[in-house]
Amino acid sequence: MQPSDQPVVQANKLVKSYPRGSEIVHAVVDIDVEIQQGEYVAIVGASGSGKTTLLQLLGGMDRPTSGTISIAGKEISKLSDRELTRLRREQLGFVFQHFGLLSTLTVAENVALPAILNHKPNHSRVDELLERTGIIHRRNHRPSELSGGEMQRVAIARALINEPKLLLADEPTGNLDSATSERILELIGELNKDGLTIVVVTHNEKLAQCAHRIIQLSDGRIVNTA
Amino acid sequence: MLTQLSTFFRYSVNSLLRRKLRSLITIAGVASAVAVLYSLLAFQRGYQLGLSRELEKLGAHLLVVPKGCPYDAASIALHGANWPCYLPSKYLTMVTQTQHVAEAAPVLMTAFYDDATQSSRVYCGVLPNILALKKQWTITGSFPKTGEALTGMDIASKNHWTVGQTVKMADIQTPVKISGILNNTQGPDDQFVFIPLGDAQTDFKHADQFTHILVKLDHPDHLEEVVRSLRGCEAGLEMNIVPLAHVFKTIQGLISSTRLLLACVTLAALFAAAIGLSNTVFMSVTERTREIGVLRAMGTERSNIFALVWMETLIMSLIGAAVGLLGATLFEGLVETWLRARLPFVPNGPLMSYEWTIALLAIAAAAIIGGLAGLAPSMRAAGLSPVEAIRRAEGGV
Repeated sequence: MQPSDQPVVQANKLVKSYPRGSEIVHAVVDIDVEIQQGEYVAIVGASGSGKTTLLQLLGGMDRPTSGTISIAGKEISKLSDRELTRLRREQLGFVFQHFGLLSTLTVAENVALPAILNHKPNHSRVDELLERTGIIHRRNHRPSELSGGEMQRVAIARALINEPKLLLADEPTGNLDSATSERILELIGELNKDGLTIVVVTHNEKLAQCAHRIIQLSDGRIVNTA
Repeated sequence: MLTQLSTFFRYSVNSLLRRKLRSLITIAGVASAVAVLYSLLAFQRGYQLGLSRELEKLGAHLLVVPKGCPYDAASIALHGANWPCYLPSKYLTMVTQTQHVAEAAPVLMTAFYDDATQSSRVYCGVLPNILALKKQWTITGSFPKTGEALTGMDIASKNHWTVGQTVKMADIQTPVKISGILNNTQGPDDQFVFIPLGDAQTDFKHADQFTHILVKLDHPDHLEEVVRSLRGCEAGLEMNIVPLAHVFKTIQGLISSTRLLLACVTLAALFAAAIGLSNTVFMSVTERTREIGVLRAMGTERSNIFALVWMETLIMSLIGAAVGLLGATLFEGLVETWLRARLPFVPNGPLMSYEWTIALLAIAAAAIIGGLAGLAPSMRAAGLSPVEAIRRAEGGV
């Protein structure tokens, strides 16, 4: 991928609040963040510090209460639900802690799904990605037949199928043992070396240390950037 | 587009297979409702066809019967029985002379109960002009002259009668010669014995009387005019003029309570099936909230989420419809027996008419029910935002 001057994600004065019972929870408060193409950013912090909420905002899965976010040059507050959905489908890839694979589809079908939704099915790319993530031998298996590490590899392959500009991963090693986490970490590192922009929310120190930049959150605010 | 559709279809089918028992119970509910609906429609159609076939076989536009309940009389004329009262022969002339009456065939019908066979033997005294009305008759042999009889196919076969044979019938004093046997009419005529009107009047001691007159008009458009003329004639007060179209409507009316009952059962079954479908899909959506959240996060349009969930409902409805149609066809005999035992008047021949148009109607009804039942859960699924769905599935914020 060719580097460009325009940041992949740019957030200004980002605030996300929501009601919980009678009180208002401020999950993200006054955050400014800019992520350049090819960057590898780790978001760390204690549970409830607003990491996941920030990731969801940066990934266009949620809209901020106030402030602005531009993803791939598009200001999301100006996008309709349909346009935002399209932006997620075409420009972003998501990896979840709980893998989020569809249990009723095979590995290959899971990986192919975002491309099918994008009306661009590409079987050779599915195989290419399964090869790359080392899961090709499980192509026709169901997720229930895979180990945690294998499922996360499938989830990563699925996130990459539409050639996203940005990969967002929420605790990608959270449900994995240390040896498996190590391999996922290597895979994410390799993807970044190939030019993919990556934002990872993690508790895993090793994963965070591989990042170019670590953003530390506490009570919804950035307390440290290293 | 095709790949997307086939992926959605596979996903929907597999989602249903995830909870096999629940899906099966829901499909069984739809199948029962469709089976009831299909049977009701087939009965409605079959009864109409049977009745109109039977009335058509009478070959008349009008029935002239003695005063009394005209529709009881029509029912007796159709299926054969003893008549409680008679028409004097002189009325025939008045009927014949009425304008637009093409043919008036008098009949003297008498029935005898046979203890041995526990069935009635029906005799009809007729004139040769009955042939002008019974166009569908084909006779092996000839129309009877004095001392002869023309018999229906079933009764001849039951008694082993053949053309030319002289037989002693229990209810007629002198032996009669079988002049002819009717080829199968698939109607009540197959059970009747037709003898010359004069013989019947003598043998059954009803000189110068008959039970009814079958009237054929020169054109059906003159029906109302002829009915008015006959009612206004000298004998008008002594006889009932029954247009067979009215008989059709009246007999249909007699079974309206049965039909209403079946319609209520059908509606209740369809309603229950719709609720079952909706409930099943709602549960399925709730169980898959996280999955829906992930799909939305991946960029699945709300319309596609709607289509996925809606497709599940439609698949269950259509499988239910297929099973229901099969079940109704398999248990046709049972349903028919049950209905025959409960209806005041049942035409000969099959009571249920299972036709592909009715099957299509039942399938369409199942699809509509499924479509409507799936609307609310599909809209709920499509309305989930990715974050809300993932958060809700994880049980908190």
